[in-house]
Amino acid sequence: MQLQNTLRAAILAGLAGAAFAQTPPAPTPASPAAAPPAWKQGMSADQEKSTLHPFAGHVTGRTASELKLNTITVPAGFKVELWAEGVPDARSLALGTNGTVFVSNRLQSNVYAITDTGGKRDVKLILKGMKSPNGIVFDKGTLYVAERHRITRYDDIESNLANPGAGKVVVDNLDPTNQPGHFWKYLAMGPDGMLYFNIGSPQNITMPTYNEASILRVDIKTGKMENYAQGVRNSVGMAFHPISNQLWFTEHARDWMGNDLPQDELNVVKTKGQHFGFPFCHQGDVLDPVYGGNRSCSEFTPPALNLGAHVAPVGMKFYTGTMFPKEYQNSMLIAQKGSWNRDIKQGYNVIRVTLDASGNATKHAFVDGFLENDRADPPMWGRPTDILQLKDGSILFSDDYNGVIYRVSYAR
Amino acid sequence: MKLAAVTLAISGVSTVASFAHAGVEEGRVKSQVCAACHGVDGNSVIPTIPSLAGQPRQFITQALFMFREGQRKNEQMAPFADKLSNADLNDLAQYFSAQKPTPPTRKPEGDTVARGRAVTEKNNCVACHTPTLVGQQHIPRLAGQHKPYLLEQLKAFKASTRADLDGTMTSAAQGLAVDELEMVAEYLSTLVAP
Repeated sequence: MQLQNTLRAAILAGLAGAAFAQTPPAPTPASPAAAPPAWKQGMSADQEKSTLHPFAGHVTGRTASELKLNTITVPAGFKVELWAEGVPDARSLALGTNGTVFVSNRLQSNVYAITDTGGKRDVKLILKGMKSPNGIVFDKGTLYVAERHRITRYDDIESNLANPGAGKVVVDNLDPTNQPGHFWKYLAMGPDGMLYFNIGSPQNITMPTYNEASILRVDIKTGKMENYAQGVRNSVGMAFHPISNQLWFTEHARDWMGNDLPQDELNVVKTKGQHFGFPFCHQGDVLDPVYGGNRSCSEFTPPALNLGAHVAPVGMKFYTGTMFPKEYQNSMLIAQKGSWNRDIKQGYNVIRVTLDASGNATKHAFVDGFLENDRADPPMWGRPTDILQLKDGSILFSDDYNGVIYRVSYAR
Repeated sequence: MKLAAVTLAISGVSTVASFAHAGVEEGRVKSQVCAACHGVDGNSVIPTIPSLAGQPRQFITQALFMFREGQRKNEQMAPFADKLSNADLNDLAQYFSAQKPTPPTRKPEGDTVARGRAVTEKNNCVACHTPTLVGQQHIPRLAGQHKPYLLEQLKAFKASTRADLDGTMTSAAQGLAVDELEMVAEYLSTLVAP
């Protein structure tokens, strides 16, 4: 094959040489430039001079003294405290049977375990050298880790924190194209015993191929995988409703369509195979300027709730504890990492979403105060990223910008 | 909504001194080994070695992190970066970012300024590196940096051999012609940081 190609190139070169024998050699053309990063893809010509850019987290994490904890606000009766620091790129959270809190990285390569003995918290690095191990879930003694290219399992993990071993592969080859963007995966355990995860759109806005821009599930016993929801640009937060068992998920909408469009979404899958619109229709009622031309939003499942443009909803959990007031039961707590692709920033908080008897969703404030100046660069001092409910009914939420974890508790 | 009672309930985690410049002094002590190459107060006098004085703090931490993790490769830096803890990275970053950069002694010649400015504006360098090219957050200060260092980095980005945070710089440098790299490096090295 190689020889064939070489031969073909030589023949073509010969032909070209013959055809242009009388013209002076053209200057060597510059090699084509690498594609811009995925976040820049989809900019229109008039946005070329935009100064908007994603924010990079502090790679080593920051310490308590550098955090503006006294600006955090919560409803009356609630209290926020810094629960752990020194967990750089603290992203997804999972809770072990014995109380171990597992923390994963999105852009770095580690998984940490935090053990709490009598109020003394010990941060252990348990898995390293992984490829974007964003997704973690704990179930029946096993820690499952979703890297960009595979999902592995670490059985009886809490007895083996010092030496978890190499893990067993559940499913591999999830990133055959080495996606430029949205390669990090969220992981949730379904009530059916299957693992649910996202494969994001490789770019900001593009026609997805094969399994891209969808939520998939895999049988942990057989490794058999199937597509569960389509038209999902990227979901990095999923949870199952404690009563209906339906999958709810957050979704980041596309960038570079302006300050107010489109809104990020909260969705619910009622039937396997539903299509949520990407890349044709956004927020249930806005056709994409490039891909929406010959389509109609009525073809797709609309969001359960639009959360706002560029608020960047990440991890979510249904609250099922007894510590918080009764109205918190079964409501959703959603971490919003906050906008970058917007002139006046919003998000950077934890919100609560309730459902009425007819299933209508309503948004409420919960934890705020990370957004300091909505026109500054950077506008925030922290970015909430995932939620975890502890056994006592308090919740933890991670902040991957600072590499710390906060705890929210309630006392009447 | 009332202001939360926020408490620091961390035990077993080392606490840091609460005054803002603790890391600067610790960083100064730790930086003594850096001075041989990077100069007194991080103002390098060796043209192939970058000045660190006045670089954004997050950029220095990020750069040291990339050397330590083997993402940025450099024979001289690797043995030093290998030994650094996260606290070391932060202290060094605090120290160097607090130092005043010495203005460049080279003066722009001919139409260097006009041509260099045109290229940096056309290629939107100012969007991330700021209009005065002093950098911000994890993005480095370019104004007044040594030309040979800048040129080497630009060439490496263009050749895809220099580690990049997310591909932004690789893509940007590959959009520049070889003579433009030279022009940009020349221009930036003569800029006086405000």
